Amino acid sequence: MSDLTRRELLKAAGVAGAAALLPSGAQAQTTQKKELVVAQGGDISKFDPHFSTSSNDIRISFNIFDNLVSRHPDGKLYPALATEWKLTNPTTWTFKLRPGVKWHNGDPLTSADVKYSFERTWDPKVNTRVSTVFTTVERVEAPDPMTVVFTTKKPDPLLAARVAFYGGQIVPKKYVEAVGGDAFNAKPIGTGPVRFVSWTKDDRIVLEANADYFGGKPDFDRMIVRAIPETAPRIASLLKGEVDIITQLPPDHGERVATATTRMAGALYAGLYVLAVNSKVAPLDNPLVKQALSLAIDRELIVKELWRGRGIVPNSQIAKGDNHYDSSLPPLKYDPKEARDRLKKSGYKNEEVLIETTSGYTANDKPMSEAIVAMWRDIGVNAKVEVLEYSVRAQKNRDKTFKGLWWSDPTSTLSDPDGMFWRLLSPGGPQDYWRHAKFDELGDAARFSVDEKFRGRAYKEMTTIFLEHLPWIPVVQPYEDYGLQKYVEWTPNPNQQFEVRRFAFKFRRA
Amino acid sequence: MRAVAAFLATRLARALVAVWLVSTVVFVVMRLSGDPVPLLLPPDAPRSEYARVAKELGTDKPLPVQYGVFLGNALRGDFGRSIHFREPASHVVVGYLPATAELGLTAFALALIVAVPIGLVSAVRRNSLLDQVAMAVALVGQSAPTFFVGILLILLLSLKAGWLPTSGRGDWTNLVLPALTLGAFSMASIARLTRSALLEVLRADYVRTARAKGLRERVVVIKHALRNAAIPIVTITGLQFGTLLGGAVVTETVFAWPGIGRLAIQSIYNRDYPVVQCVVFLSALLFIVINLTVELIYGVLDPRIRPR
Amino acid sequence: MASSIPASVPAEAGVPSVAAAGGRVARRTRLLALGGGTFVALLLVVAAAAPYLAPHDPVRQSLRVRLAAPTLEGADGRAHPLGTDHLGRDVLSRTIFGARVSLVIGFAAVVVGSLVGATLGITAGYRGGWVDTVIMTVADAQLAFPFILLAIGIIAVLGPSFPTLIVVIGLSGWPGYARVLRAQVMVLRSREFVDAIHALGGTVVRIVSRHIVPNILSSLVVIGTLELARSIVLEATLSFLGLGIQPPTPSWGGMVQEGREYLDSAWWISTCPGLVLMLTSVAVSRTGDWLRDLLDPTLRGE
Repeated sequence: MSDLTRRELLKAAGVAGAAALLPSGAQAQTTQKKELVVAQGGDISKFDPHFSTSSNDIRISFNIFDNLVSRHPDGKLYPALATEWKLTNPTTWTFKLRPGVKWHNGDPLTSADVKYSFERTWDPKVNTRVSTVFTTVERVEAPDPMTVVFTTKKPDPLLAARVAFYGGQIVPKKYVEAVGGDAFNAKPIGTGPVRFVSWTKDDRIVLEANADYFGGKPDFDRMIVRAIPETAPRIASLLKGEVDIITQLPPDHGERVATATTRMAGALYAGLYVLAVNSKVAPLDNPLVKQALSLAIDRELIVKELWRGRGIVPNSQIAKGDNHYDSSLPPLKYDPKEARDRLKKSGYKNEEVLIETTSGYTANDKPMSEAIVAMWRDIGVNAKVEVLEYSVRAQKNRDKTFKGLWWSDPTSTLSDPDGMFWRLLSPGGPQDYWRHAKFDELGDAARFSVDEKFRGRAYKEMTTIFLEHLPWIPVVQPYEDYGLQKYVEWTPNPNQQFEVRRFAFKFRRA
Repeated sequence: MRAVAAFLATRLARALVAVWLVSTVVFVVMRLSGDPVPLLLPPDAPRSEYARVAKELGTDKPLPVQYGVFLGNALRGDFGRSIHFREPASHVVVGYLPATAELGLTAFALALIVAVPIGLVSAVRRNSLLDQVAMAVALVGQSAPTFFVGILLILLLSLKAGWLPTSGRGDWTNLVLPALTLGAFSMASIARLTRSALLEVLRADYVRTARAKGLRERVVVIKHALRNAAIPIVTITGLQFGTLLGGAVVTETVFAWPGIGRLAIQSIYNRDYPVVQCVVFLSALLFIVINLTVELIYGVLDPRIRPR
Repeated sequence: MASSIPASVPAEAGVPSVAAAGGRVARRTRLLALGGGTFVALLLVVAAAAPYLAPHDPVRQSLRVRLAAPTLEGADGRAHPLGTDHLGRDVLSRTIFGARVSLVIGFAAVVVGSLVGATLGITAGYRGGWVDTVIMTVADAQLAFPFILLAIGIIAVLGPSFPTLIVVIGLSGWPGYARVLRAQVMVLRSREFVDAIHALGGTVVRIVSRHIVPNILSSLVVIGTLELARSIVLEATLSFLGLGIQPPTPSWGGMVQEGREYLDSAWWISTCPGLVLMLTSVAVSRTGDWLRDLLDPTLRGE
């Protein structure tokens, strides 16, 4: 009850303070708040970082847990739980751990935890969702409590980037082994800047700041994450001052957030929104059909109208901002006449082409699906949309049972093509529906080469093969927008990581 | 006394039959698509899990045995593990129950407080402007779809006027719009029924007698008419409480209110059948218990009505 | 549950104006009922003539004219009297076509419900005994339960399709018919002429079809109309929850759901179909009330 009163008081004080300062715009933009309130578009489903890759889960798990290495909003890698790392021989990386780090329950962090965490990700008995993240790693060893040694199967230039993203969160060996996976998920213990307090399903998550965090206590005492799935109420909560940051701000509503007290902040998404293709079923096994489908999409119109200009048209399967992005390639073409010709040439027999989409899980998924299906119908394709719930989609994703095309928003986890399209389209990867000998050979070689020039050439050739066979049909590289109160100083990460550590988040105080 | 016992017995028997019927429908529907086991486990469950649950449910045994197992489990509160939350389904459902209770009770109280006085006044001042306006509004309230009432209230009172929060559960301000929405139908029904019940009574003989005796109108109304109108009013009102449960599904969805109605919808979207089974069963139970209680009170209050 | 007062009110001491007011109210009530009936008739015409009346294709998207406010000259040069939705589809056209969906499903569900309900009700009333007890217990059990939960459970397993919807919505209402018809049949059955016909060798079917059915027809019509209103609202609710008619086929409930995201900016997407739905429900209910007062006032208070 006292929590409620304190919160009410702070809220009232905040509102009163802002109101009192209001007509002079500049002064309204500071606060004395000690509590950060975030509203996201869905509730978390799992706290266990190895079981969640959905953005609503990642936003929390990256703050309860730490990785060995951390990627900051500027795109570079910085020390986190590891203070240094180097390639000691072509297939060995050695990481030195930060001394004095404690788990939220007081236990000290040691290399045993790190070894345990990584082995857990690929342990078939645990069956995590991140089991394919570290397939390049042969084994992990902990020669002493402050050192971890990774041996990779072949030279891996990107290991440091790999451990920085999801799957690389470190979990406490003693605690997890003692209480078991389910209890760990119900009451997670990490090393991160916030610790878990409570979770009321479909309502809110309460986290409190970790005063002993090695990176410094975050700029608040408590953090509340509310789940507000409907857009209008989520935006209303921001405009009314009930929350400080909202996520998943659809482009249609960006203007509403540009007020005296609030603003929009966005980052070009480090990844692409693509229609992934089940290239095993007709007519999608025919490259000409896929090329026709791609040529029939008026991406400029989609960006202009559905995204209100908050996005760019991709030119290939490599996202802008990644290594080896080829800016000399033109954006993917829109040519309905050419599309019709190719469709005819392909021998298309009016088979049904289905887009299975969620509604709102990926931004604009349903509207884009409906728009694209209409564009395909215009060139004579028997196209249809089917709406699924997220969990059904997740299931089809796991079982690889999609019937046609579906939306995928692959994040470029390593800022490198290896962590984006190759991670997903490689043999045995999550979207393994299409194989091509040369493509596979090049992808494998590029993953294990430390020669960037060689890698560049390899990816260029892979792009050419890709554009002919289109295992994905890239549609847009959008901005990911958030709504903020003007007294929040925060930079969004391009890869959906929601950072509240001191280097990324601060309240502007008077 | 024997009459009371017989009355109780018939009502109880009917309630039990209702519960049994609902459980049967749930059982049948779950097996309509063939094997129920894949519906009850996460898709990545290992074979051993699959075999264990199959054995537990007795899917290799004949249907009547399966049904027995199902009923036995249901009575113990065991509906399996929620696929989405990875904890026992009954746990999850019970966790969402307080929110629905809060909403339902508030809606009901609100409906009563508003509707009964309006119904009474409308009856007493029959055909006045108040009466006609009130009954017109009540007519709309009874016919209007609950989900749209909610949407309209959000649009007008929250988004445009900014008086109240738009969704979610929090303090009392969050309760107002959902309670109004959920209570709208009941409010309208109770108002209309109170009015006609009182009108009915006001025309009765003993009222004429009281009037003929020269008693003042107010005394007539309060002492004689009300007391007799109370019984049907109470009954109808009590029965309305049960229907609130059905309306809760829609209201909770519109306002993102974290109650069992919303849980039911979310679980259906998530194909989380253990939770769906549990919610359906629990709601049926609740509803039937409430109705039974109301009928018992009714039976006790009015001895004339008891024989069927 | 009409609030109509007969024109002749027993004169009560000291309140002569009530009679006059009663007369006014009675006229007004009749006018309103007529208005309701007219609206329903109009709706039927609109639904039937939808392809000719709707100014645009209800499914055709036009990204250039998304979220347009009601206007006579949109960005595509055409009129959109009720605005456009998030895909540029004309709201008026979609509302008109939505009427088709609502009415078709509503009527079909009423047919299903009345057939099942009438059959079971007549059987229960005619046969009596344990058949009656069984049927009535099932009916009471179904009434004693928030049907929508069962409906969504069933649709979740079977998937939303036209036939499933019609059957589920139809079956949600059969107890209403059954109870009333059973009571009426019991009364009719007890009349001497039924026994007489039996004695003369008439079959059950003959008795039922010749003597019982004509007498319950009026009740069927009244209940059917009220059930139509309820079915239309139930279909809209299921579509709103995503368990009814699937996009892009327009349905009023589905349109309200689609407009939720834009409630504070493009409010017309949700409000227009919702208001039409509300009007339809009120009008059909009113018509049902009026029919009841006309055909069979004994049904009031049920």
